[in-house]
Amino acid sequence: MKSPLVLMLMLLLYTHIQPTQSSTTMHTNNWAVLVCTSRFWFNYRHMANTLSLYRTVKRLGIPDERIILMLADDMACNARNKYPAQVFNNENHMLNLYGDNVEVDYRGYEVTTENFFRVLMGRHESAVPRSKRLLSDEGSHILLYMTGHGGDEFLKFQDSEELQSHDLADAVKQMKEKRRFKELLIMVDTCQAATLFSQLQSPGVLAIGSSKKGENSYSHHLDSDVGVSVVDRFTYYTLAFFERLNIYANASLNSLFTSYNPNYLMSTAYYRTDLYQRKLEEVPVTNFFGSVMETIHTDSAYNVFPMKDSRANNIKILLEQSVDDLIRNVTSSDEKQQSAEPSTIPGKCPYTNVWNVINKRMEKIKDVDNIVNGGFALIFLTAVIFSWLTQ
Amino acid sequence: MAEHPEASQQEEQPGDPSPELFDPKTMRKSKPGFKRLFLTISVLLSFLSGVPFFLKSIEIYRSPIPFTEMDTLSNSIDSHPLIFSCRFHVVFVDFDSREVSVDKLAFSVLENMRKLSSSENVCGSCGNNYSVSVTIESGGDCKESGDVEAAKLWKCGRIKEGNLEEMLKDDERFDEYLNEVLGGDEEGSGKVYRVVVVSKDEEIRAVVGKNRHAWIVGRVSEVDEAVEMVAEVFVKFFVNGGTRNGSIHSEFMPVGADGRIVLSFNLLNADPRDWVYDWNFQEIDEILLAPIIRTLAPLANISTESQVLYHTPMSSFANWDKEKESYIFRTKDLPFFVNSNEWHLDTSIAAGGRSNILQFVVYVPSANECPLMLQLPNGEISMTNGFISPMWGGVVVWNPPRCARDSGGSHLRKKISPQDLEKVFEVFLGQLRQIFGLNSGSLYHDASTTFTLLSTGKGFTEWEMDFLSRQHTCYNLLQCGTTLGSLSRLVQSLPRMIIKDEIGKQVKFSLEAAKVARSNASYGISDASAVSSREARILAEDAFFHPSMMSVSYYSFEHCFAVYSPFFLPVSMHIILAVLREFRRYKQESAKHRAWRVIDSRNA
Repeated sequence: MKSPLVLMLMLLLYTHIQPTQSSTTMHTNNWAVLVCTSRFWFNYRHMANTLSLYRTVKRLGIPDERIILMLADDMACNARNKYPAQVFNNENHMLNLYGDNVEVDYRGYEVTTENFFRVLMGRHESAVPRSKRLLSDEGSHILLYMTGHGGDEFLKFQDSEELQSHDLADAVKQMKEKRRFKELLIMVDTCQAATLFSQLQSPGVLAIGSSKKGENSYSHHLDSDVGVSVVDRFTYYTLAFFERLNIYANASLNSLFTSYNPNYLMSTAYYRTDLYQRKLEEVPVTNFFGSVMETIHTDSAYNVFPMKDSRANNIKILLEQSVDDLIRNVTSSDEKQQSAEPSTIPGKCPYTNVWNVINKRMEKIKDVDNIVNGGFALIFLTAVIFSWLTQ
Repeated sequence: MAEHPEASQQEEQPGDPSPELFDPKTMRKSKPGFKRLFLTISVLLSFLSGVPFFLKSIEIYRSPIPFTEMDTLSNSIDSHPLIFSCRFHVVFVDFDSREVSVDKLAFSVLENMRKLSSSENVCGSCGNNYSVSVTIESGGDCKESGDVEAAKLWKCGRIKEGNLEEMLKDDERFDEYLNEVLGGDEEGSGKVYRVVVVSKDEEIRAVVGKNRHAWIVGRVSEVDEAVEMVAEVFVKFFVNGGTRNGSIHSEFMPVGADGRIVLSFNLLNADPRDWVYDWNFQEIDEILLAPIIRTLAPLANISTESQVLYHTPMSSFANWDKEKESYIFRTKDLPFFVNSNEWHLDTSIAAGGRSNILQFVVYVPSANECPLMLQLPNGEISMTNGFISPMWGGVVVWNPPRCARDSGGSHLRKKISPQDLEKVFEVFLGQLRQIFGLNSGSLYHDASTTFTLLSTGKGFTEWEMDFLSRQHTCYNLLQCGTTLGSLSRLVQSLPRMIIKDEIGKQVKFSLEAAKVARSNASYGISDASAVSSREARILAEDAFFHPSMMSVSYYSFEHCFAVYSPFFLPVSMHIILAVLREFRRYKQESAKHRAWRVIDSRNA
């Protein structure tokens, strides 16, 4: 529809106007979006992966209000679960991941590609509550963790849908356009994970996958008591790294990324840093996995009540001020009302004038009930009189 | 189709020139008929005539969006920062008017102001083109200069009517007097910032009032000194709003994308086994918060909520300090103070999806950390015992009086006394101002002078509100421009995505509101421009975040093809083949007929 020249011009303008904002905005908060894309009992380990990472991220400081957890959530109360309401990620059963304070935002059949993209891009229906929205701003660092079954350029969602790599790249591009994040870390733990972020183009994105194209990602060990594998290798070694950290630590992302040993993982943990401006050695892991609030001390209060002994006077003054304002509001609305009433225009239709006057009088009557009762009484009286007269 | 057997049943006719020249395979005697061709072509044509209707029925509805206007708006906002027109007026009282000329004074004030303000055009500032006017009142005389309109609003001589000496003793009274009596009618023509310089024999004092007046009183012998101070007042307070560099960073813009803020006040009892405190929030909401919310109405639609929580310990540590006899926590512990696991602050049901919630927390410590004091890096104890986190809210630690040692059983619900509650809310007000980017001290210390700033029950003085309105207008228009630009790029990159009417309307209204905001800004009406810029931003954000624009569900061309080809492809193949075949046959038959004609005419 548009001529190619105009298209070229617009392309030029687009590349021209893109402001470089990641250097000037401050890091305000951290968000985590943790997605488990599998359901059914034999995919126990995927849910255990996601819950383990949820626990880690909470322990390091990100609060529930800044975590979006999407799980099919059919493991803990599954009929095949020998330990009802308990989910473990290790065969020693030392840690119950489902124990306390797990807030799942999207569960069961709500975990769909559409909802996932709605979360990322912020396009929800107006009735969706705040806890289900990604309320990040332009200074947020977002951790996006996805686990499940995947393949070349796709990720399987709930056994019925697919998440394509170009859709993900598109979503990230729109997020960046709308400045919904300052930096984004994508961690994917599926087979052929690195293909999922091969199409990303937006700056400020760091991505790591558990295996390259053509490789599978394997589970770590089988829990013979529960009967299924309970954790994947990539997530297991990630958790091992974080168990050594605490809230005040400052290990760098580089140490995390280089801690993965291909021999133990039985796959190559591939990461791409070409879209990320900062050096990995300088970025502490708590930039994504923990949460540090920016705080500023309040130097002084604002003295609205200057004289402490005449507090009653001050309250009276303030009350009077507020009452004055109220009276002003009321009088102005009264005036508006009066001016809105139809005025009797002299010379025009006398019938309308008379009717207007009657209307005004009727509107001014307060006691409508009494008049109505009186009217009924009058009717009754008239009926009685006339029936007596016509007898 | 069966071949017509006419060629094989050609009878011998009398007058036939040469029956042996007639070859039924390559000739025919009669012209071929049109019926078959006509039939097949008419079927094809009827299909083709239905194609436009079909295309119309599967057309993607895209509401027309003015792409060029959106792009021009975002470009012009980026390239031409918004500048407001501000007017300044200086009044010199009891000065010797013969020594200096009024015009020269105006010029030197302007020069000083230019020196103090930054060279580049900051968005939302008054620009570099200040309009300054000066009035000198001495004796019964009154000389005016500069922008005569602004000077005309000052009623000459009236300042002498009141008892100047008496009034100057009380700052509040003088401020009221200046505003009511001498302010004049300022409706509709924009606002004027005024400094009154009174020469008296006492220490120099500079006070900035609650409206748009300031005054400098004292031994101002040198006119140059007075001019410098006046320029400082104008630039530092009325133009820059009391901030250091006159612009507010984007992390101090707490208004949500739908133009609303929810203030959530929380009283946290760390350990209810020690003591339980309650507060009378209703009263303080009506008295203190309601005027502030009304004042901030042009900037944001504000609502308040409150709750009391129990069993909410903090997550950092405090150490006992023997000297100060209290538990001390330091500024480096502040980032870890808020215990998000136990403090369930995010329980607002009224807040919409794109509003911003500011949490104001009163923390009542437990018995084993009472009294809890904040120590600053320089060793002093904080006066407010509170801190903020930008875009999140603020926390104040309130210690129960004498740590409730003397009072009775811990199971009684105690109420925070009204005086203490007032003090806490004054700190909250200071924190709210800090979240908006303003300082709250009553004294402003400069290199040479100390300015006294008056505080108002409305929470924000008029000149502060002007400054905030200017900055917020700027920010809102910037956000609106980038959002509309992103929307236009998104819509153009997906030609098959459905765009509903609602989105088109929102974009149109947003562009109109942005235009109104810019025109208001050029007239200097800062609060109207703040309101319309907020409207523009809300509409642009609503249009961008409309839930129907999900690119996963747009109608790709492959999808369209895959859905409709099983219906039309087989049938159309047959029809086209039939037409082609009939056409070919017609051509063959008419070639045969022509051949016969040639032979016939040769023989005849």
